[in-house]
Amino acid sequence: MNVIETREITYQYPDGTLALKNVNFRASKGMMVALLGPNGAGKSTLFLHFNGILRPTSGEVRVEDRPLGYKKEDLMKVRQKVGIVFQNPDDQLFAPTVMEDVAFGPLNMGLDLEEVEKRVKDALGKVGMAGYEKKPPHHLSGGQKKRVAIAGILAMQPEIMVLDEPTSGLDPKGASQILRILYQLNQEGMSIVISTHDVDLVPLYASQVYIINEGSIIKEGTPHEVFSDVKTIRSANLRLPRIAHLMEILEKEDSLPFDKPYPLTIGEARRKILESFKD
Amino acid sequence: MESHLDYHAHNNGLREVNTLFKVLFAISTMLICVASPSPFLPLFVFMLVPMLLVFLAKIPYKFYLRFISAPFLFAFITFLYMSLFFGTGELWIHLGSIGPLNLAIYGDGIQLGFLVFSRMLGAFSCLVFLAFTTPMTELFSMMHTIRIPAIMVELAMLMYRFIFLFLDEAGKMHHAQKTRLGYSDWRSCLRCGGMLAGNLFIRTWFQGEKLHIAMESRGYNGNLKTMKKIKYPGSLSIILLISFEILLLAGIYMTMNIQII
Repeated sequence: MNVIETREITYQYPDGTLALKNVNFRASKGMMVALLGPNGAGKSTLFLHFNGILRPTSGEVRVEDRPLGYKKEDLMKVRQKVGIVFQNPDDQLFAPTVMEDVAFGPLNMGLDLEEVEKRVKDALGKVGMAGYEKKPPHHLSGGQKKRVAIAGILAMQPEIMVLDEPTSGLDPKGASQILRILYQLNQEGMSIVISTHDVDLVPLYASQVYIINEGSIIKEGTPHEVFSDVKTIRSANLRLPRIAHLMEILEKEDSLPFDKPYPLTIGEARRKILESFKD
Repeated sequence: MESHLDYHAHNNGLREVNTLFKVLFAISTMLICVASPSPFLPLFVFMLVPMLLVFLAKIPYKFYLRFISAPFLFAFITFLYMSLFFGTGELWIHLGSIGPLNLAIYGDGIQLGFLVFSRMLGAFSCLVFLAFTTPMTELFSMMHTIRIPAIMVELAMLMYRFIFLFLDEAGKMHHAQKTRLGYSDWRSCLRCGGMLAGNLFIRTWFQGEKLHIAMESRGYNGNLKTMKKIKYPGSLSIILLISFEILLLAGIYMTMNIQII
């Protein structure tokens, strides 16, 4: 089942700029999908279509294989199912305490207090922020704010989580904490879409990759399929993962026997190197 | 960070004392101070509050002194003005005259000025007590319980949250301007200040829009729901509070006819 699917959607800003051109995007249940693209490629605009904040100029958005409705009640349902975590947690956290912020979504769903409290507790536990309930957001670090923002979405128990640049602006430890949380959630069955330009991390986590540039999807497939098309990757102002790039140089410049597909992660590279040493 | 009122409100020795109790204490004492016909009791409150804050709440006294200095100065100026320009009756000191202006201090002018001075400080101390010991967040849920209209509480909540983003943003821009030699003379001070204010306005506007999108994404439909749960103070503390206020009133009754000069 596709939790989110867009069919040929096009979006034109009021000033006439075409932000999305015939975008076909699919995220199936239980998958971790990465949307790779340079700045200004239309990633955030596409995401805002997933929960009906923006309405495509043409084309169709489908959630759980049904067309998205734009009536008020339909939108409420969709926004519970499709949780979006925004890039800057300060745009998202507004309540005076962590507890109240995480409770915001569940309260809007009209759940009773007991259930809300349970969900807040669960969600904060999952992101490793239990014990911070009464803190105000401005007393938290960047990584902590991000985790609270994720908890705020988790507490609504969505079918799919959509994260806009979840690691941007974080230190390496903060970034890997976030990714580990996402990986864990994905293992537990949560479907996840992330947008990023961190090409080194994508192959570690994503099962499906889309590359978007200037409002169009220019490539889709598994990490290996996508990164084997080096030309397209570079034309979209992206690059190969460092490891793959090293392998490419070793093959082309130094004629070492590392042919395509280049390994994308440290683990894959290790295996490949060990193999060729054995020969 | 540590010289931040908000920091102390979240980390002080009286943090866990029942919020309603603190609010009732502050408000009732404040009302008594403002209405007191005697200057002595408000002054007593003005002395008592720093004791509570420094010894019980463990607020550093330097921070308290710095905090109270501005209202103290303001109250003192009020006192000077009132003793100079109010009052008739018995002349106390004649300081001379500047042209048509007659600078003289009358006994009841001093009396009145001193009363206003002490009322201001007494009442302000009560607010300071609340501000130092109770996080805003708990005051918000209190406002909810005492039926302050939801729209006002919501606005206050958002404002409280945005004060910090605002300060952050303004601080960053200020640094950026200084890095490029802004604020070098008074002319550029004016220009930079103006740009900062203008930019801050625009950014706030965008920030508001982004927040709205984020809130809509979480099912916001026009009213903020909060988790209100209020704990009531025990009967012992209520009795204590009432006895304290009665003592204050008794003190006022006994001292209301004492003249200070």
